[in-house]
Amino acid sequence: MLLDYASGAADEGVSLIVATHLCFCPSCRALVALAESVGGALLDDVAPMRGDALVNALARLDNVAPEPKAEASRDGTPSSLRHLLGGDLSGVRWRAMGPKLAFANLFRRGQTRARLLKGMPGGDTGSHGHHAFEYTLVLQGGFIDETGSYGPGDLQVATPDIVHNPVADPGEPCINLAVTTAPLRFDRFIPRLAAKTFGF
Amino acid sequence: MGHAVAATKFSSRPLPRFRPCVVRLMHAPAPDHSALIARVAQDRDRTAFAALFAHFAPRVKAYLIRLGAAPNLAEDVAQEAMLSLWRKAHLFDPAKASAPTWVFTIARNLRIDQIRREKRPQIDPDDPLCEAPRSAYDGLAWSQNEAPLRLALAALPPEQAKVIELSFFGDCAHSEIAAKLDIPLGTVKSRLRLAMARLRDAMVDQL
Repeated sequence: MLLDYASGAADEGVSLIVATHLCFCPSCRALVALAESVGGALLDDVAPMRGDALVNALARLDNVAPEPKAEASRDGTPSSLRHLLGGDLSGVRWRAMGPKLAFANLFRRGQTRARLLKGMPGGDTGSHGHHAFEYTLVLQGGFIDETGSYGPGDLQVATPDIVHNPVADPGEPCINLAVTTAPLRFDRFIPRLAAKTFGF
Repeated sequence: MGHAVAATKFSSRPLPRFRPCVVRLMHAPAPDHSALIARVAQDRDRTAFAALFAHFAPRVKAYLIRLGAAPNLAEDVAQEAMLSLWRKAHLFDPAKASAPTWVFTIARNLRIDQIRREKRPQIDPDDPLCEAPRSAYDGLAWSQNEAPLRLALAALPPEQAKVIELSFFGDCAHSEIAAKLDIPLGTVKSRLRLAMARLRDAMVDQL
């Protein structure tokens, strides 16, 4: 995943997961930086530009303003998410999906969907499997399921064969970034109905 | 007699050290692109920009063509990449990436944005969340001297070089590399892991 992100081969959903994880993880940042230096070192072949390319570029420079520095987050929202949300996590408008569960859509590209999920302490999603991959990155709080417990910055990659029921930890609400590459598969009727209604 | 004396004299000297001349010639000191970028950032220096353009624009164009872009489109996007360089020069931090690495990230992101028509999720380099104590391992990225990395790349076993090449020039995620080479996904991952470990060691050795 990290190398796909660094090379640019990863799609937008995986890239969002990786970029956001990097905010929490210095050792993955180092690996991405290494892979990007490989990209730099491979930038070796040459294809000549047109004769007037430099003149044209110079003529356009006056109209190009320096890019402003990004505004800082007030609540520790990773910048990868701020770009998408146009603001901080605290400004997200959540849609309730039950007493203890809410979500907000980020984007959809083909079958891939990126969302934010918020579970109140003790809330669960309902047991579900996957038709493809589900990437879940904890942004705040934590959750526990059949595979273990996850805290801020932890990434769970659920493969099609995993069936799980994540439950939000006690304490603060658990906020996750979730990217799915196909619809989820819910075991029980009510969550299945809810999932269908909300487009999961 | 004279011969014997000469031989004795010679053997009393330390052995001449082996000097890898070819390697030294291949990596003659490159123009300091980082300094040129700094001049663009501070003084909006057009001469510096022209020098950067002459070096990097044809490389970005070749990179885009290699990834499947038509030459005209590659020319336009390479042009845009150089304008991005002008616009973002003040964000370049030579402590975090070398000039070619930074230009690579600009080209990669523009390709995703303008050719693949997707967004590129990014973290800002100065995102305070990402500020953590730097270890020697993190320092890999600081390196300005890319010669050891290039040498290590050239010395990779062919099967590892192939997966690296497909990663960067095939627009292939790991699963697609596996399909293309008709090998298991696990093999792709292990080859990439081995290759990255070698490259990392090459960078660490020079620290």
